[in-house]
Amino acid sequence: MNRTRQRVNRTAIFLILCALVVIMLFPFVFMAMTSFRSYDQYLMGSGYSLDSWTVLFNTIPVLQELINSSLVTGAAVLLILVTSTMGGFAFAKLGYPGSSVVFLLILAGMMVPVQSIIIPEYVNLSQIGWIDKYYGAILVYAALGAPFATYLMTTFYRGVPTELVEAALMDGASYFRIFTRIMLPLSAPAIVTVAVLQVIQIWDDFLIGFLFLQTPDVRTITVGLATLQSSRMVNIPALMAGSIVSALPAIIVYLIFQRHLVRGLTMGMSK
Amino acid sequence: MTQAVGSTPETLVPKRRSRYLRDRQRAGFLFSLPVMALILAFLAIPIVQTFYQSFTAWDGITSTWTGLQNYQYLAGAPTFWQVVENNLVLLASIPLAILIPLIVAFLLNEHVTGWRFFRSVYFLPTSISWVVIGLVAIRFFASEGILNGVLRTFGLGFIHTDLLSGEGSALAAVIITFIWSVFGTNTIIFITGMATLDREVYEAARVDGAGAMQTLIHITIPMLMRFIQFAFILTVITAFTALFSLIFIMTQGGPGFATTTLEFFIWDRAFKVGTFGLASAIGVVLFAVVFVIWIAQYRILRSRTD
Repeated sequence: MNRTRQRVNRTAIFLILCALVVIMLFPFVFMAMTSFRSYDQYLMGSGYSLDSWTVLFNTIPVLQELINSSLVTGAAVLLILVTSTMGGFAFAKLGYPGSSVVFLLILAGMMVPVQSIIIPEYVNLSQIGWIDKYYGAILVYAALGAPFATYLMTTFYRGVPTELVEAALMDGASYFRIFTRIMLPLSAPAIVTVAVLQVIQIWDDFLIGFLFLQTPDVRTITVGLATLQSSRMVNIPALMAGSIVSALPAIIVYLIFQRHLVRGLTMGMSK
Repeated sequence: MTQAVGSTPETLVPKRRSRYLRDRQRAGFLFSLPVMALILAFLAIPIVQTFYQSFTAWDGITSTWTGLQNYQYLAGAPTFWQVVENNLVLLASIPLAILIPLIVAFLLNEHVTGWRFFRSVYFLPTSISWVVIGLVAIRFFASEGILNGVLRTFGLGFIHTDLLSGEGSALAAVIITFIWSVFGTNTIIFITGMATLDREVYEAARVDGAGAMQTLIHITIPMLMRFIQFAFILTVITAFTALFSLIFIMTQGGPGFATTTLEFFIWDRAFKVGTFGLASAIGVVLFAVVFVIWIAQYRILRSRTD
């Protein structure tokens, strides 16, 4: 009796979870199905073709925008990794008078909402002519990602035994050598976690790209997609094709590094 | 002066020790220099500028000191209070964004067939940009959209919805989309939390004849409090500071100001109207709100671990 009841329960749970899968996957199915219809086919609700993909590639410079996104994301994440691992090593293992205050101030940077700094940031960069330049956006992205990354790396390096550093010092290794030969290899898992979080975040971002990379030749794919929507174009299938192009790289990164993403999320908890 | 991190090896003689310490501190300073410079130039200086400019009339080129005028203007502007109210409505929806994932995590924790697959699917939207989510959401809520299609299919065609064009309902559409997006993230947080709980407690509860609902309310939720708090703060911060793109795509803040939140209002006043000083004042308000939320979470966590 009890056993059959349990089986009924488990079946019910399974069905509820399946229903949720439908709700969560629906937008993706909608995107895919719609993108393979021409505008007319979409209106009629039948037939399939590659028309909308052609329209998409003829309307916006998709390839250039993908290159721009990759370039900006790659460079910003690299910059975040270099500065946060170096900083993390310094704050966790080296220290100097006032270093814990500096560390706290960097942590406080995590609290700053983008919108609260975006106006002076924009004015500053336009005054020195850094709008529509890759490096302007790259530096802004890096600065926004650096506080959390530095926090994660510092937490990680605190867990590394100090004896390891001291033994290497006795052997005459320089701090730079200790950093590149001992610390960096040890922290590979934390580095991957930071990289995955930041790649997805920066690739998906709209606001920074929208303000700092405005012309089509430097525009990122996310911004290109948004401008497509706000232009008079109402070709929904082409918009959905664009959505797939913009979302796919992030989805692939997600599928490969899912575990790291989860870890990064919960690592933020141990504050 | 703050004490340096780490310990000095005791085997070293005093003289070498002080040289060792000096070298270490110099290395520490040099290693942390890049991250300090980056954050100083692109985060610290701009936030100070925002504070300063919030007391000025600023158009991006010239700025004139006007004291508290921007804040006084905001306090008397009905639009500003409508925006604040929108933020409060958003805040009021957070319990739903916590409760649904909590229940689903509870169900997932039963480890029925395929639970890993379910977990992956639920977490998927975490990797998608708000722009893409917004683009699909518009088609979902549109007058000739998916939602109405579904209603028709189930013979409910007489309920015709057009959430996005109604002043009272557009925010609801944004909120539903938001809850859909954070559902996976919060579910993952709770599953991670439940994995840390002792299974024996559940067994004991079952032996005592506690039902699923009682177990959830009296055992799971209290033991997960730390995770619930974390998810709550994360969701509030997301709602207040990360929804710009979603709102931009779905409603442009409209109809009227019906879906304009503080963060959207900053962009609206600065880059659409050109009142940079006033927008900076809103930026300060948003920063203050976020600051209070963070401090609150820090104090709550502290009081629990003490």
